[in-house]
Amino acid sequence: MNRFDEELKLALRREEPSPDFTDRVMARVAELQKQEKPREKTGWLRRLAEFFQPPQMKWATAGAMAVLLVIAGFGVHHRRESERMRLAEIAEGERAKEQVMLAMRIASAKLNAAQKKIRETAGHEGGSK
Amino acid sequence: MQRADDTLSRAKDGDQTAFADLVREHQAMVFSIAHYFSRDRATAEDLAQEVFIHLYQNLAAIESPAHLKFWLRRVTGHRCIDHARKHRVKTVSVEDAPEPVATADFRDSLMTEALRRIVATLPEKPRLVVMLRYQEDLDPSEIADLLDMPLNTVKSHLRRSLVILREKVTRSLGEIRV
Repeated sequence: MNRFDEELKLALRREEPSPDFTDRVMARVAELQKQEKPREKTGWLRRLAEFFQPPQMKWATAGAMAVLLVIAGFGVHHRRESERMRLAEIAEGERAKEQVMLAMRIASAKLNAAQKKIRETAGHEGGSK
Repeated sequence: MQRADDTLSRAKDGDQTAFADLVREHQAMVFSIAHYFSRDRATAEDLAQEVFIHLYQNLAAIESPAHLKFWLRRVTGHRCIDHARKHRVKTVSVEDAPEPVATADFRDSLMTEALRRIVATLPEKPRLVVMLRYQEDLDPSEIADLLDMPLNTVKSHLRRSLVILREKVTRSLGEIRV
């Protein structure tokens, strides 16, 4: 270290601040503590707010998503079941309709046969007269 | 060292007296960095106060007395640079300053005053580097670590600053040998 370095060291030697510096810092610290106390009183509010912040929020979101998924699953199942029942009812109706139609066709055929027989019988009787 | 450790751990546990002891122990260091940087006592006291309040709020992160010293120097340095950038501290132009009457009797005080004045005219980062080197007696590698600066940049700041300082002091003090 040369002379100039020594001069520089001397010029930049440490100095003390005003004598009341520490007291002023401690007064600011006391002020900070006072401000922190009312914050502690509203701790429950802070905890509630913290609940909606990560990582707690992640669990709440996961829970809500699970509930939504279960509800959606039930909804889809219910809708499918209703649809299935409606289709079964329609099919049943169709079957009943077909049976009625078949019965009517049979009845109609039988009626036709009876009518034919009556006409034939009437024809024979007319011819013999 | 054991006592310093004890004071730090008591302060971390919320002991106000221990924190006041920490302030007393380091206030000259923090204040002087801010003072020679800003060349204004009131500004330096405000900056130093802010540094200690910041320390109070971050005590939990301080691991040891050595870490505390490192932390204080780093935070003070950054606060000084931030303050200078925000307020664009008026730098003293050496050329505009009145020529001092240089007699041998006043040599020491003139030299000291001239050096302090000229250091204050250096750009922010070189100024901080010079102060940490000569006030805090730190090695260039320690300064590089403290300011997150490459070692060669620190060395270059020091070299250039010394050339400027020598030149300006010689011009300022006239015939007095530097």
